[in-house]
Amino acid sequence: MTKTHYVSRRTMLKSAVAGAAAASLPAVPRFANAAEPIKIGMPVALTGPLGGIGAQMRTACEFWAKQVNAKGGLLGRPVELIIEDTAGNPATTVRKAQEMVERNGVRLITCIVASNEALATVPKLAEWDTIFVSGDNGDGRLTGESLVPNFFRPNTSGPMGTRAVALWLRDSPMKNFYGIGMDYAWGHNSMDVFEAEAKRAGKNFLGAVFSPTGTKDFATYIAKIRQSGAEGVYLVLAGDDNNAFLSQAKQYRLSDKIQLLTEQVDEMGLNATGDAAIGMIGGSRYPASLDNPVNKAFVAAWQADYKRLPQMFEGDQYQSCMVLQAGIEKAGSIEAAKLRTALEGLALDTVKGHIVMRACDHQAEQPGFIVKVVKREGMEHPMPEVIATYAADRVTPPCNKMVYDN
Amino acid sequence: MDLLPFLLTQCLNALSQAALLFFLGVGLTLIFGIMRIVNFAHGTFYMLGAFLGYSAVRLTGSFWAGLVIGPLIGGAIGAAFEMGLLRRLYRRDESAFLMVTFGLTLVLGEIIRLLWGVNALQVELPNMFAGIVFLFDEPFPTYRLFLAGAGVVVAIAIWQFLERTRLGLLIRATSQNAEMVHALGVDVNLVRTAIFGIGCGLAALGGVLAAPLVTASLGMAGNAIIDAFVIVIIGGMGSFLGSLLAAVLVAFVQVFGNYYFPDFALAAMYMLMLLVLVIRPGGLLGKEA
Repeated sequence: MTKTHYVSRRTMLKSAVAGAAAASLPAVPRFANAAEPIKIGMPVALTGPLGGIGAQMRTACEFWAKQVNAKGGLLGRPVELIIEDTAGNPATTVRKAQEMVERNGVRLITCIVASNEALATVPKLAEWDTIFVSGDNGDGRLTGESLVPNFFRPNTSGPMGTRAVALWLRDSPMKNFYGIGMDYAWGHNSMDVFEAEAKRAGKNFLGAVFSPTGTKDFATYIAKIRQSGAEGVYLVLAGDDNNAFLSQAKQYRLSDKIQLLTEQVDEMGLNATGDAAIGMIGGSRYPASLDNPVNKAFVAAWQADYKRLPQMFEGDQYQSCMVLQAGIEKAGSIEAAKLRTALEGLALDTVKGHIVMRACDHQAEQPGFIVKVVKREGMEHPMPEVIATYAADRVTPPCNKMVYDN
Repeated sequence: MDLLPFLLTQCLNALSQAALLFFLGVGLTLIFGIMRIVNFAHGTFYMLGAFLGYSAVRLTGSFWAGLVIGPLIGGAIGAAFEMGLLRRLYRRDESAFLMVTFGLTLVLGEIIRLLWGVNALQVELPNMFAGIVFLFDEPFPTYRLFLAGAGVVVAIAIWQFLERTRLGLLIRATSQNAEMVHALGVDVNLVRTAIFGIGCGLAALGGVLAAPLVTASLGMAGNAIIDAFVIVIIGGMGSFLGSLLAAVLVAFVQVFGNYYFPDFALAAMYMLMLLVLVIRPGGLLGKEA
């Protein structure tokens, strides 16, 4: 609660300071004719369990806005970010977004962290006459049964992430798999998807065990994994549970015998578990090591500002900002109708390479990446390194679908 | 995997977990025995220990420094809290203690968040115990052996302290009849400060020792306080031996329950508690309620 007030107070303070600065310095307008700023609403979870991801997404948006404004803004207008904390609560997200639309005149939204927040927001977009460009929302339904005309998803979706792992499985020489997941909806769903994909790839799925959220001792689970005789174990663990499992698995030397696999390798977990995750293989939405000119320029500029590499959700959100920028430039406007037409079919080179915002379901066609966690000399933390890339046409699902034909 | 090596390694593992539960529960039960208050902030001292352990390793490069610094700072904060706040409340009813210690949970938790940030922090194993031993070809981390050993050593130390030292004698006497002890010219307030500090220090010690297994994170406190309450209730409020017995029982039920009945992993500990409460409402070694 306090945090929410703090953020909004700070936002207010910032605008007050900016306003005062603008009033006191009328002789040096940075933008011609004191152009009306382009306001982008960011109802982002900065506190609560999703706060870590939210912080990444906000940093990426701020970095992008700073770059754009340094080059004279968008359509000659400065970009202004309106940031509010949602704590990951869908009802709060809708309320804050509505306030942004009604009080601040926002017509563009991005940076919503959780899919359930996004799903709660999309039905209101038509009424608000507002475009929402997703920065990380993964739920397949957003471009499937819940698709609305004003929603666009430049980022990798959940089904696309799992798909990349499934494609890698088919190519892998390993035959037998076991799984450990957290004992709630996400753990069971992801394990079901993995099991189905493993079987489709002609592999054996030997079973899975589910640990209650908040498990502290994983020794018995580690014993079960060893006893299964599997060559690979699929982990669907997050947060503290994931950190505890990886620390203890390392202490039991589990990865000497069994390959650790996971849906998504993100840097936050790697920083918390040190060397424990080395060797782990999993999907990634955006690995900073991608070798293309746009990404190289992005990473270099990012490192100059933050003295570190961009993390996964930072890269994915930044791509969404690039798509939004290209759409606005193409449309010459931020009006929802014009921007929607401009975004449909938009093709551009981003940090992940060449992507296309397809018109049929507003999902960006883009490649999928499989990474392995390595620690090279001079690195403070282990980092994900790309070991396989799958082309956009194999990773992106059929229009409006969450499942793949083959 | 054969049954014998499996049983051996899991029994040793259960003992290592029992040690952690014991550090957590014994302080809470001792505090309750003497002061008749439930220290809601106990889990937060456990969490504080983990973060202090992290910083000690970072600054000195030695895990052992954390093992000394963590309990000392945790104990000092506990003692200061007793002297500064709790002491003023002894004449009030019990809900006052609940509120004040709960308030301490919030304040201390927020201070930890400000000092160490929101991300989980890794605590490396001490080099001496970073290895692994093979028991009938079954790998077992030496650190868990060390944990089990530390549990035995600390349990004996507390027992000897309570039985053999003058302060231990005063603590036992105060728990039986505080007014009589006071009438005999002993400063009961000092005994209370000491026991509150020792209890919090033991929780912090548990936190330092648990950190290499679970990382130091802001979720630790909430998890730990529930475990601590369960230990105290099963063992009997205020009973030192009871908390030891309860820690061992709970650890064995958790480890073997997780293995043989994974679907009931979460429920196993509470089922044990229910069973004990039905048979002995005051806990295993507690006074009949």
